[in-house]
Amino acid sequence: MSTIVIDPITRLEGHLKVEVTLDSNNVVTAAHVSGTLYRDFENMLINRVPKDAAFLTQRICGVCPVSHAIASAKAVEKAAGFSPNLQAILLRNLVQSSNYIASNILHFYHLALMDYVKGPQMSPWTPGYSQDYRFSQADNDALVNNYVAALSIRRKAQEMGAIFGGKLPHVANIVPGGITANPTSTDITNFRTYLNQIQSFITNTYQADVNKLAAAYGDYYNVGKGYSNLISFGVFDTTTSGNPLFPAGTVSNSVISTFNEANIKEFVKYSWYSSPSGQAPASGTTSPSYGKAGAYTWLKAPRYNNVPYEAGSLARVWISGDYRNGISVMDRHKARYVETAKLATNMQTWLNQITPGASAFTNLGTPASGSGAGLTEAPRGALGHWVSVASSKISKYQIITPTCWNASPADDSGNPGPIEKALIGTAVANSAQPIELLRIIHSFDPCTGCSVHVMSPEGVEMSKFIVQPIGG
Amino acid sequence: MKISRRDFLKWSIAAAAALKMNLDTDRMNTVLAAETDPPVIWLQGAGCSGCTVSTLNVTNPTTIDNVLLNKISMKYNSTIMTSAGETAIQALENAANQYKGQFILVIEGAIPSGTKNTYCIIGELNGTEITMEGALLKYGPMAKYVVAAGTCASFGGVPAASPNNTGCKSVKALLSGKTTNPIVNLPACPVHPTVLIQTLLDLILTGIPTLDSNSRPTKYYSQYIHSTCPRRDANDASAPGKYGCYEHLGCMGVYCNAHCVNTKWNNGVNWCIQSNYPCIGCAKPGFPTNPLNIPQ
Repeated sequence: MSTIVIDPITRLEGHLKVEVTLDSNNVVTAAHVSGTLYRDFENMLINRVPKDAAFLTQRICGVCPVSHAIASAKAVEKAAGFSPNLQAILLRNLVQSSNYIASNILHFYHLALMDYVKGPQMSPWTPGYSQDYRFSQADNDALVNNYVAALSIRRKAQEMGAIFGGKLPHVANIVPGGITANPTSTDITNFRTYLNQIQSFITNTYQADVNKLAAAYGDYYNVGKGYSNLISFGVFDTTTSGNPLFPAGTVSNSVISTFNEANIKEFVKYSWYSSPSGQAPASGTTSPSYGKAGAYTWLKAPRYNNVPYEAGSLARVWISGDYRNGISVMDRHKARYVETAKLATNMQTWLNQITPGASAFTNLGTPASGSGAGLTEAPRGALGHWVSVASSKISKYQIITPTCWNASPADDSGNPGPIEKALIGTAVANSAQPIELLRIIHSFDPCTGCSVHVMSPEGVEMSKFIVQPIGG
Repeated sequence: MKISRRDFLKWSIAAAAALKMNLDTDRMNTVLAAETDPPVIWLQGAGCSGCTVSTLNVTNPTTIDNVLLNKISMKYNSTIMTSAGETAIQALENAANQYKGQFILVIEGAIPSGTKNTYCIIGELNGTEITMEGALLKYGPMAKYVVAAGTCASFGGVPAASPNNTGCKSVKALLSGKTTNPIVNLPACPVHPTVLIQTLLDLILTGIPTLDSNSRPTKYYSQYIHSTCPRRDANDASAPGKYGCYEHLGCMGVYCNAHCVNTKWNNGVNWCIQSNYPCIGCAKPGFPTNPLNIPQ
């Protein structure tokens, strides 16, 4: 028996460590995934103006800020009893989907691909592993060329999103009430010019490169399968009454079920918190306890019906019916492509529905009191914000992020988190170069900045107004 | 006499300036990304990687592929580097030791400090966890230049906002007086890619730029946004979403020194006020205020 520690896991957002135990055949028998950065967003939001949360929560994650802004704005709008108009919904969709495209392309080419391809022989692409690189020199060179081309495409996707969002990362104008952009016909034309170029890259280059990877590494359709339980909160409303492009739902044993927020609980037996375990997000409490015996992470363990679920592109396209080939490392990459292509197509439709000069913003003022939930999907999966307002200030704020689901530790029943489960059973050919483990972890596109962001003041009992974390 | 390429470039710039010659600035910016060059080590603390993502968006002075392939030797940045785990941390150690007194240390994010320093662990060396605070205190004094990229590293920013239960501090708060050269602050949330990349090239080619009392290059931070805002003389807007000046709605451009009017964002396609919302002062010391927009 031996162990492998990888700390840091690089090529992701945030701070992540993985430790696995191997048997005498170098097969993983146990895995611990640890989030090693802890922030404090929920407490910071208390006593602030509700609309400011859309700006502050974007700073949880520089890779998926738009989804946080939208979740926050939706939560405050619910508290105020307001629904944005169609122009607002479509403009938000266009900014959020620009962010999705930038994120999915960044993930495939710049975060994941170097697990299969040798980069230029200089920093930051060296040092690296030499284990199991299968591409011919010609294919390798072609993929490196596309890595470079993709740098420009993901940048342009951010520029496209900024046309309506003001700037990226961290948009300037998605707030409760809608979005303050007031597009001209020139803005719409500029957006379409970007979209056409990006869509061409997606259908011609991204698709071919994902298929090339799948052809060379077909065995990865059988690696990193995990629980095969999938969850999505739904995203990209297409009308004022909802009708999301990617619907909410869950998948277990290949059966699709309706999603019910009430089935979520969070467990902390293996997390650095001394607060009670098994609480519903809305009523949970959190007391940090770094170094707690047996615990190994700042992430909590959210569970749905007490079972671990995987979130992300694969969950979305499975539930929407766009991709149901399987659940594995390679299926996650294919699913991200399918989603990206579908988004680009639908963006053309949404763009056609934008009315130049029409307002997408209603000045809501500040609700005096109320509470609301804002559910959406970040590129990495299910995202929820819950806000309570009292005396026109935030009295409670809670967030559940995608990587909470995927990179969670074991729950109180001992069920490992989804990434941990996906690692178990994997054979490591060379324990000095555990490339198989990196490939599995990267296929989930973890984002730990998102996943750990809450705490209570040390030694202070959480009052009913202090937020609790879900954050995990 | 043998002179390095960098010495030659510096001499060329000085000579050209003396002769009032126009230089091909892109050529002058090309500072041998060769492995022998003084490298950049980029560490991320309590932040969101938004400054790294923003840096990938650079177009001026050049695009990121050209930066990484031809201009800057990026020895460590956990978001983009290939190596992981011990291999990565060893690369960090090797670069810092080999280029001691020569490398540029870029810090992204604030730093959980003191008894809270275990709230940010950046990796392990020989089985021992390295806190972000420990890394800053170790590598900061070894660097030739220390650059705080973004508002979190410059002033504490969002992670240090009240009640700051994580003990987050700025680079300067922890490292002041311990560095070879003055710390350079490049605030904004995120850092503007042109400001960051051009400052790194300026440091390599010409040394420390002129800094203001907040350690910001005067080149980018000498003016309030409001003082050159294209909407300064427009009528007051009745609400966000309407065209006009937002000063009476608490636009923080009145108090925020930054470059946004000139640089805009994302290759110049837009910026916050142009998108019809008041500036939230994201480059200001004290960001994020409560409320973000403070009407006078």
